[in-house]
Amino acid sequence: MLETATPTRPAAHPTAAQLRARRQRRERLTNAAAYTVLVVIALIMLYPFYWTLITSLEPTGNIYEAKLLPQSLGIKNYHEVWVGTTVPFWRMIINSMVICTAGVLLTVTCAALAAYPLAKMTFPGRDLIFYAILILLVLPNEAGLIVNYITVTKLGLLRFDDPFLRAFGQYAAVVLPGIASIFGLFLFRQAYLGVPTELLEAARIDGASELSIWRKIMLPLALPTVAAFAILEFVAYWNSFLWARIVIQDKELLPLSAGLLELSGTFSTNSRAVMAGAILMIIPILLVFAFGQRYFMKGLEGAVKG
Amino acid sequence: MTSTPTRRSRRAEHRQGAAGARRTLGNTMIAYAFMLPFLILLVMFHTWPVLFGTFLAFNSYNIISPPQWVGLDNFRELFQDEQFWSGLRNSLKYILVVPVIQVISILVALLVNRPLKGIGFFRTAYYVPVVTSFAVVGLIWSWMYQQGGPVNTVLRTLGLASDDRSLLNNPATALLAVMFVTLWKGIGYYMVLYLAGLQNVSQELDDAATIDGATRWQVFWNVTVPGLRPTILVCSLLSTISAIKVFEEIVVMTQGGPAGSTYSVLFYSYSRAFQDFKYGLAAASSIIVALISIVFGLINFRLTRGGRSDA
Repeated sequence: MLETATPTRPAAHPTAAQLRARRQRRERLTNAAAYTVLVVIALIMLYPFYWTLITSLEPTGNIYEAKLLPQSLGIKNYHEVWVGTTVPFWRMIINSMVICTAGVLLTVTCAALAAYPLAKMTFPGRDLIFYAILILLVLPNEAGLIVNYITVTKLGLLRFDDPFLRAFGQYAAVVLPGIASIFGLFLFRQAYLGVPTELLEAARIDGASELSIWRKIMLPLALPTVAAFAILEFVAYWNSFLWARIVIQDKELLPLSAGLLELSGTFSTNSRAVMAGAILMIIPILLVFAFGQRYFMKGLEGAVKG
Repeated sequence: MTSTPTRRSRRAEHRQGAAGARRTLGNTMIAYAFMLPFLILLVMFHTWPVLFGTFLAFNSYNIISPPQWVGLDNFRELFQDEQFWSGLRNSLKYILVVPVIQVISILVALLVNRPLKGIGFFRTAYYVPVVTSFAVVGLIWSWMYQQGGPVNTVLRTLGLASDDRSLLNNPATALLAVMFVTLWKGIGYYMVLYLAGLQNVSQELDDAATIDGATRWQVFWNVTVPGLRPTILVCSLLSTISAIKVFEEIVVMTQGGPAGSTYSVLFYSYSRAFQDFKYGLAAASSIIVALISIVFGLINFRLTRGGRSDA
């Protein structure tokens, strides 16, 4: 099809310099057009965040108005969201941090451990397990929310009386269903497959146990994957709100993202305070994202190819 | 691809006799020990929901008393429930977002694939909505949509709206308004997938076509689009399935309102389970969603295979 396209040649042959100038002019023009489109899309993507930020910084004024700059400045709303609710904001931050730390640590460890035999050991049932997990990825899991709620209830995680156990049980109920990440298993398996088997054989001959081979050879070599997956999971745990909202019984144990929706109920008269809360909720994600962006994108791209 | 070396090494160990067998057993136990925590949680929170959810669909269950077999009663109740049908209709309408999101994401990916100065900033900017929680995104947009808010201001400036009501409070526009948020949040995600897909589009073919005198448009249709075909199919499947399952946007922004205009089928399951405690009915409706997703998956599979055979 392409061969049939006949190249069009100008009748008079312009000089090389003229050609170059023309090409440069055209390039500059298309670049200008490209930048215009890029900026317009960036405005659509970022203005809602910017608008929320400047509105949250205004103590008074016409709240929902479209604006480019805040009409007045103050941190009153931030103060209010920090102290002024049934559940203090700092408490929700702690809840989020506990859930994120436990979630990320357990999810990364579980996937990194489980992927090792699947990539580098021979044992009966290996292919069977691998395909069974593949099928699970395809099987629909719409009843997940409902059945998992029944499961954590039956496990007794939501029924402790002792205050410490009560908090522990509810945190565990939030974290547990997310730990076995099939996506993470694939990511680690892919990374391990690239490690030369000779390296492992040598360590085995030296008498190293499988656990120390995993810890001292596999894990360090898979460090980029660890970083990428940890960032992805941090974002996922930090952002998840529905499941936490369903399982958490005590309001003071709600993580930030779920708590924010509670706030919007409490502060229905002062949306500005909720806006302040939303901004505070985004900041950690933006920081993690800014520092880990390169890994993050790689993790995603690896997932598409793998 | 892994079966040949596996079989060979197993045979080798077999030849070594009892010591080999003992080592195989030891290795097997070590292997399973590595996978144990993962497998237990996998079965508990991935396999069990599929099995028990299917079982629940044929039972009447409210957690307190044991499940009671009711056969197809849940499905009968479901099909007679006007709310279920309106939820299903809205979820199917939601699929309209798929072609729009794919076309825009491909164009954006092509745009940010150009080696322009500062392109990293734009890629990052477009990705920010993706990494932000629906809890935040949903709240931000429900403020943006408020009466006298930025969205209405823009629409009125462009002459597209006469009435200043929030788009979310108007049954005629609420679903479209929610769909726009899905679109806005999804573009960055699909952009990254298409960027990865573009790496697989042969640059030589592209250059060859250009040297042969093909226009940009011809290169796009004859080289880029066929090269992106596998990515397009995966992405449209992903976004079709998540469109059918639309849920979080609705929980945060509309709770199914106004007048049921944004009531989706998974929101129906959720309400039946966590408001009415009719877990069996909720599971039955989830199964319908799952079946629809499978049908779309099969259609996509057929299309992918078709793509391969004529390539």
